[in-house]
Amino acid sequence: MSHTVLVCDDAIFMRTMISDILTQAGFEVVGEAETGVQAVEKFRQLKPDLVTMDIVMPDMGGIDAVREICRESPDAKILMCSAMGQQALVVEAIQAGAKDFVVKPFQPSRVLEAVQRVLG
Amino acid sequence: MDLNKYAALFLAESREHLTTCNRLLLDWEREPGSTEAVAGLFRAIHSLKGMAATMGYGRLADLAHRTEHLLDAVRAGRAPAGAGVVDLLLKAIDALERGVDEAAAGADGGFDPGDLPAALEAAAAAAAPTPAKGAVRKGKKAAEPPAPVSAAAPLPMPDFGEEAGRVVRVEIRPDAPLLGARAHLALRRAEQLGKVTGVMPPAANFDVQGFDGRFTFRLDAPVGESQIIAAIEAAGEIASVAVDADTVQTAEWRIPSAAVPAAAAPSARSGQIRVDRRRLDALMSQVGELVVARNRLLELAQLDPGGELEALGARISRLVSDLQAEIIEARMTPVWQVFDRFPRAVRDLARHLGKQIRFEMEGEGIELDRAILDELGDPLLHLLRNAVDHGLEPPDERQRHGKPPEGRLVLSAAREHSSVAIRIQDDGRGIDRRAILAKAKREGVVGPEVEILTDDLLLKVLGRPGFSTAERVSSVSGRGVGIDVVLTKVRAHGGAVEIASTPGQGTTFTLRLPLTLAILRVLTARVGTERYLLPLSYVAETVEFDVQPRTDVKGREAIVLRERVIPIVHLRALLGVDGGEVPPRRPGLVLEVGDRRSAVVVDSLMGQQEVVVEPFDAPKGTAPLFSGATILADGTPALILDAAALV
Repeated sequence: MSHTVLVCDDAIFMRTMISDILTQAGFEVVGEAETGVQAVEKFRQLKPDLVTMDIVMPDMGGIDAVREICRESPDAKILMCSAMGQQALVVEAIQAGAKDFVVKPFQPSRVLEAVQRVLG
Repeated sequence: MDLNKYAALFLAESREHLTTCNRLLLDWEREPGSTEAVAGLFRAIHSLKGMAATMGYGRLADLAHRTEHLLDAVRAGRAPAGAGVVDLLLKAIDALERGVDEAAAGADGGFDPGDLPAALEAAAAAAAPTPAKGAVRKGKKAAEPPAPVSAAAPLPMPDFGEEAGRVVRVEIRPDAPLLGARAHLALRRAEQLGKVTGVMPPAANFDVQGFDGRFTFRLDAPVGESQIIAAIEAAGEIASVAVDADTVQTAEWRIPSAAVPAAAAPSARSGQIRVDRRRLDALMSQVGELVVARNRLLELAQLDPGGELEALGARISRLVSDLQAEIIEARMTPVWQVFDRFPRAVRDLARHLGKQIRFEMEGEGIELDRAILDELGDPLLHLLRNAVDHGLEPPDERQRHGKPPEGRLVLSAAREHSSVAIRIQDDGRGIDRRAILAKAKREGVVGPEVEILTDDLLLKVLGRPGFSTAERVSSVSGRGVGIDVVLTKVRAHGGAVEIASTPGQGTTFTLRLPLTLAILRVLTARVGTERYLLPLSYVAETVEFDVQPRTDVKGREAIVLRERVIPIVHLRALLGVDGGEVPPRRPGLVLEVGDRRSAVVVDSLMGQQEVVVEPFDAPKGTAPLFSGATILADGTPALILDAAALV
């Protein structure tokens, strides 16, 4: 069975792109969220194998969402999607429990490598 | 043997032990069944006795001996920690503290413990069971009777031995994005294997400019070399991992920086020496000068791209960054070194006022620049006292309001971005805004039109020098003096204070402080013909101001960013600048201080750099907008804007 993924990003563009990269590699994108609150709710509901999480989102940012998800499910596998220049935030996300990160603009190979590491 | 050499060491270490004792006694009082607390107390007093005896401080050693004897009796008899015994031991600790200070000042002969020795003796006799001759104690073998004090006891010098673990060297692929974050990931993988210590450069500096992806640490883990390598490589983007054999690094000449619990055995401090803080200050200020010189060098190097000067400049730049990171790390001190004295103070005060308070501390391992930490003790104590005296209600009043009789007071420290937030949180009655508002109106602090005191306004009112929050003057917190002192101290270090208070539910003060003083990463902005600097740690993002949709909130101009309304601050207007050219498209810097944000509009951005902060005495009449000043690489002075004053 293929791995299930929840894609969290406030931009449809980014969600689509990430979903495409992952779907083509054989993953099953089971849900999308555009706010941190939604991310937490959908995680509870869908229990995906993997979450990709944008950092800056309205209505609870990605880092708080990571914190919230990891509080309930410490083994959650969360991959942060960051922009250059967000190093401090990425570090904060890692400390909150995120397992890895990729940096925009995305290169599919890097995204998939990171996904493998997270699921590994 | 020249004992003078050890006097400073004796003083520092004895004080540490006594602080530990205070804490352990309170633990023990809360949990009378705890054998750990008694064991820790016994160890600490025993060490003190040995040190005092070695130093020739006979009276002090004698008092320590008697204290130890009582502890041993309690331990052996497993007598519960009666309030009487705890109080007596607290008195003994106080006397020992006095004795240590006097002995260090060269006056051990004059140290007078009063009737304490007799009281300790009597208590020891009462606590100890009187076993029949030859009776064998249950369990482990009988505790050794305390050794008589002798000046020939061995000198318990700190052990300069090795720290446990293997040295691991990691190099992240230089082309990997966000090297610092990747390094953090690698470190986390290592932490899952065992205990990680001595990270170099310190993890707090992974995200500084100049970090080249190479770092080392010591890992104490019961796994093989190949497992360590595999685990770290799994963090991704790793160029190389090397695990050294169980070699010992040369002694690390640095002050303790790891969050070693105070009760830990002396071996936990191994490989460390104490360094006078003034030396570190001097080093820091010299490195500061070096940073300025380096910045100038890099500017000159740009005139000759590809030349030898550029290569040399880059190399020197990296070396200076490393040096700076090392010194900053050497100055970092865990907050417990200041927090440790608070439980005792809170307990004594609560008793004095007849209140029941559960005092908790969190995040004691969080580190701050020693220079900042040292200045925090008094403001924090003040806020804690305020909470105990005015915030938390007496038990009967709490019960009348349906609360548990025991009030809760929490002092916590947490890392947030590149700052540290220290919170003092009580679940007391909260601040009476109406009373304060009325008073503020009477004193003309706020206009008659103000109807509600927001948290921000509340802080402004409370922070006015001499503004009294107390309904009555008490012997404990005085006339409510102090919030202004707290504000001044914290702001002087580039920090900010926030307050949140809900009637009936309690009050929280948050002190936000930079990790380190002296060197600051800033964004340089042009306004008119002047350059102003903004601490980068508060800049959440930059936006193109003139293309953002604008709106209006309560008469204030604001932009809407991702559905969030952010008030605009025009620096030109605020600073009264009208020279220079206003470009058609200006950048807006979104500042974030705690929950508050603002978009600061400047004429243009000129880049990031590191600057050495010089204290800044604003001339009278200057708007309170600046937190410091600096000299830029080209020799011109520039002012550093206070982010907290702009949001």
